[in-house]
Amino acid sequence: MDWWVWPVALLALTFAMGVVGVLAGVGGGVLFVPIVGAFFPFHLDFVRAAGLLLALSASLSAAPALLRSGLASVRLALPLTLVSSLTSIAGALLGLALPTDKLQIALGLIVLGIAALMWRSRGAEHPEVARSDPLSVALGMHGMYHDAALGRDVEWKVHRTPAGFAAFAGIGVIAGMFGLGAGWANVPALNLLMGAPLKLAVGTSGFLLIGGASSASWIYLERGAVLPMLVVPSIIGAMLGAKLGVRLLRAARPAVVRRVVLTLLVLAGARALLKGFGV
Amino acid sequence: MTPIEDRICARWIEVGTRLAFCVVLASFAIYALGLLEPLVPLAQLTDVWRLPVDRYVAATGAPTGWAWLRFLGKGDYLNLLGIALFVAVTIACYARMVPLFLREGKRLQALCALLQVLVLLGAASGLFR
Repeated sequence: MDWWVWPVALLALTFAMGVVGVLAGVGGGVLFVPIVGAFFPFHLDFVRAAGLLLALSASLSAAPALLRSGLASVRLALPLTLVSSLTSIAGALLGLALPTDKLQIALGLIVLGIAALMWRSRGAEHPEVARSDPLSVALGMHGMYHDAALGRDVEWKVHRTPAGFAAFAGIGVIAGMFGLGAGWANVPALNLLMGAPLKLAVGTSGFLLIGGASSASWIYLERGAVLPMLVVPSIIGAMLGAKLGVRLLRAARPAVVRRVVLTLLVLAGARALLKGFGV
Repeated sequence: MTPIEDRICARWIEVGTRLAFCVVLASFAIYALGLLEPLVPLAQLTDVWRLPVDRYVAATGAPTGWAWLRFLGKGDYLNLLGIALFVAVTIACYARMVPLFLREGKRLQALCALLQVLVLLGAASGLFR
């Protein structure tokens, strides 16, 4: 097949992923790595690097609007992103050291696990936080944002910060190792574990991802695993698709989109598992 | 009222990302249109992109570390400039946070931002190789 077929196919695929990713509330990386790893000819090393860069670029393009609207908070993200940055470096190094077949099997299991997590988890709009823990107070992890739907300001604070650090340490390893981004895990950790309101958790998740994805991306870049022919069309497609996704958000039916994403994840996870077992 | 660190961070990310996106678009056009000869010819690329990265580097002589800066005259490696800009936006953003937090007396947050910058610089420099 001619070389140009692949970047064109990537552009079309990541454009669709960008749209679906916004509508389903998942980052692009979680769809990109299992699908491109399963159905495209690139080695998983290059696909993982591209997945991180795709997740990074999509988060960077969404971050300014989220920060200005108060739906993402530097104060909330900063200490957590420090932990996930360190562990995502470890994840990237581990991923580059493991044999491909074992990595494919682990990827398949992780992706199927993410699908199960997405299927079961239901966010809490405004979780009850009776008292902030001392660590979150010391780190200034509290604030306020304006909820346009409610027509009022919402004050927020968090709790269980040490458990949150532990969760983000684990999320960082997986994100760096598989290039999956981390929106699928950041939101439940911020919302269900630490008690951040759902809208703030969704907005801050993208900003939080920036630190971890950057750290791990440097590792892949340094190893020579960044293939422009794979990365650039993917970044462009995902960024343009995300812009269309934001416009379609009002008219879309998120439940239907979510089911499509879950189906894609199960198929791609199963394919990765089979590839790992040499089938 | 949006906190000042959120507003400043938004501005820095916006400017940095736009710049990186323009550089990536221009460099990829140069690469795909064949205006600059690539280090790895497109005909060979389809054979070697199936290899693990170590074997790819060995087969193509592709640079590792920061050695790609020496190949900015090649169509494929010119693209890494824009990609590296994307990744570097974060460092600039967190570095800007340090004096901001210090001025507001938020020492712990300033320390977190400084440590984040050091981690990112460490990763970029190859310290964790």
